[in-house]
Amino acid sequence: MTFLRKKDPFDLAFAMLTGLASVTVILLIIGIFVVLFRESSLALGKFGFFKFLVSTDWNPVTEKFGAATSIYGTCVTTVLALLISIPVSIGIAIFVTEIAPDFLKGPIGIAIELLAAIPSIIYGMWGLFTLTPIMMKYIEPALQKSLGNVPLVGILFQGTPMGIDLLSASVILSIMIIPFTASISRDAFNLTPAVVKESAYAVGATKWEVLKNVVLPYSKLGVFGGIALSLGRALGETMAVAFVLGNNHRIATSLFDAAATITVTLANEFTEADNDMYYSSLFALALTLFIMSFIILAIAKFFLLKAERRYSR
Amino acid sequence: MSGSGETAIEARELNFFYAGNVHAIKRVTVPAYRNKVTALIGPSGCGKTTLLRCFNRMHDLYPKNRYEGEILFEGNNILEKTTDLINLRSRIGMVFQKPTPFPMTIFDNIAYGLKLKGITKRSELSERVEKALKNSALWDESKDKLNNSAYDLSGGQQQRLCIARALAVEPDVILFDEPTSALDPISTAKIEELIISLKKSVTILIVTHNMQQAARISDWTGFMMLGELIEYDMTDKIFTAPSEKLTEDYITGRFG
Amino acid sequence: MNIQARRKAENYIALFLSFLAAVFGLFWLVFILGDVLIHGIGALKPALFLKDPTPVGVLGGGLRNAFVGQALITVFATLIGVPIGILGGTFLAEYARGRAIARVISILADIMVSVPSIVVGTFVYAIMVRPIGHFSGWAGAVALAVIMIPVVLRTTEDMLSLVPWTMREAAFALGAPYYKVIIQIVYRGAATGILTGIILSIARVAGETAPLLFTSFNNAYYSLDMNGPMSSLTVIIFQYAMGPYDDWHVQAWAASFVITMAVLALTITGRLIIKWRYK
Repeated sequence: MTFLRKKDPFDLAFAMLTGLASVTVILLIIGIFVVLFRESSLALGKFGFFKFLVSTDWNPVTEKFGAATSIYGTCVTTVLALLISIPVSIGIAIFVTEIAPDFLKGPIGIAIELLAAIPSIIYGMWGLFTLTPIMMKYIEPALQKSLGNVPLVGILFQGTPMGIDLLSASVILSIMIIPFTASISRDAFNLTPAVVKESAYAVGATKWEVLKNVVLPYSKLGVFGGIALSLGRALGETMAVAFVLGNNHRIATSLFDAAATITVTLANEFTEADNDMYYSSLFALALTLFIMSFIILAIAKFFLLKAERRYSR
Repeated sequence: MSGSGETAIEARELNFFYAGNVHAIKRVTVPAYRNKVTALIGPSGCGKTTLLRCFNRMHDLYPKNRYEGEILFEGNNILEKTTDLINLRSRIGMVFQKPTPFPMTIFDNIAYGLKLKGITKRSELSERVEKALKNSALWDESKDKLNNSAYDLSGGQQQRLCIARALAVEPDVILFDEPTSALDPISTAKIEELIISLKKSVTILIVTHNMQQAARISDWTGFMMLGELIEYDMTDKIFTAPSEKLTEDYITGRFG
Repeated sequence: MNIQARRKAENYIALFLSFLAAVFGLFWLVFILGDVLIHGIGALKPALFLKDPTPVGVLGGGLRNAFVGQALITVFATLIGVPIGILGGTFLAEYARGRAIARVISILADIMVSVPSIVVGTFVYAIMVRPIGHFSGWAGAVALAVIMIPVVLRTTEDMLSLVPWTMREAAFALGAPYYKVIIQIVYRGAATGILTGIILSIARVAGETAPLLFTSFNNAYYSLDMNGPMSSLTVIIFQYAMGPYDDWHVQAWAASFVITMAVLALTITGRLIIKWRYK
């Protein structure tokens, strides 16, 4: 019997094939960064990166561009969406883990996932045809009437409510990002060991007190991760917002104003760009968005990894 | 029944180091005699499973493990770098602690090792599958459901499936790593019976943390502690009149 | 109010608010899906699937080219993205298991899963559309594939990792080389999980619009030529919804209905498979 050692060529080939496939991920990220940078170098060269970020110009005719208006819109819609969705998401997570009877937990979980599965363009359709009329006819006038004259806060509710504005966009966005924080928070809550909760109950705490003082602090890393993920998704959302934001490049002061976000600007203007500076500036916007979301998503991953490490024992 | 006779596989002055130079097997010499059952016993962490996995070079799957010394099989030292592991493992089979049926039919499970060796003729496969199942006392219970998923079998049956799978390639040696620790007493008894009957055709090495099992089924027993082979002798002798004090203490339950 | 009563009240209010939150969430789901159902189902007629769009302003016409285009682009995106994703996930779960590179790629893939899809569109535009000089179905397929790869890669990695290590050892112990262990044993063990990952990734890209906007663009005519601009349901919905014609709006709703049903069907199927298999 020969015991000759034969190194199987197929094994090496398969290992290399799979290795190459996995490296595509790295190549894609680097590729996107490099390509976006290259395409935006014309505009960035002319305006300078930081000046570009803070300039409120956006004039295809005079070829003067700046990202400030788009970034502003992105930030406002995102922050507002988070403000609305975070309490709702956490509430849903609390409901599913602590209050709902067992037979409801599954279906509600599925319902939340379905919410996440609905394509963003559907949100956009619904937003345009159903939500904005309601906003325009009922909600926004009501808000204006009640809060429009309150000092400070009132500025947010000026102008004629048309439905196509920052507020509508934020509302739709908030609904879209509920599932991310909700399901991650739910998973985080479920990781709280039963014994810890039981000890709190044993000293007479109410359910809410156990949640507030034990479960939430214990899961906060996971919850932050979920929030950061929602933030990351909201930043990059295009279609849902494109239908209902209008495309108005300005630093809007009222929630009832149309505005622009990076994604909406790109969606509406990319195919219209007729000169090199315009085109390059749009790429500069895309680059800015890519960097922003990459950082936020990396932070989200960081929180989620820390939560995993600490609590999987 | 006893006596030694020919050595089927033997470790000689074997040292083994886990990654990071952890000295896990210390100068062990243990011959396993042909057509006999050799048991390795000892407290948790004594190295018996580590030693067992040297015989089919399982440790090679993980980086930075290192062997020193020799393991002799058919006149060759299988620790040489030139050893063809794929071939080796079809001559020295292994059955693991937890039953691990492949996600396939019962037939395909048993035939897997044969197909690896290049046997493709349906008639030959059927013949050898039937033989293996008969030799592992599973034929009657499975002959009507050879095309069912292996997961349809109970735990004890799955373990016998794994034994049949190892038998199908007709190895010279089978290594058993605590094969009954995950099974109920009735399945355990069936498998012990099986092992005793198998030694007619195969040489068997079995690691067990259950001393009584070793006493029941083995011809030779090695007692290990902290990576060293403390004593190696015929099973009767080990359990009635051990030479080493440590062995005696372990057998009598002074430590576990 | 004494402290006990206050605590009880606080508890009740907090829990009630959570209940409301859940109702709130469910409400939107029902509202949105219901709306799509109501508006869309009325607009479904055979002409939608069998006819191509009519000139602007002219009534009648369907979306045949969009349905076909969407199908073609999605199929090719799957053919490109899924193999790369599966092979990549295999590398992370098998050959590179436990090594630093696996961690790094896994984390990067997770980030890529959530990267803005419009950015992917601009990227593919720059590397595929601009150099060639025109839009193409291929560019659209590539853009969608880029989105699919990290999704499939991560689910494959997770599913393969669920297969117990001893099963691989049992195969090794019979003398199988590693690639056979993976292909013949591990893939079989993880098959349902990987399939679900594929289904869910298709559901994910089937509804994407932004990456197609500047890659496959749009085509008013029926075309099977992947080398040229190609119509897709999602882009058509965008175009028609923003347009002024009621007829267009009706068609947009019908198309929305079809897409939503397809995506939900895929998603539910995927989840059910996982539930049934991994009970």
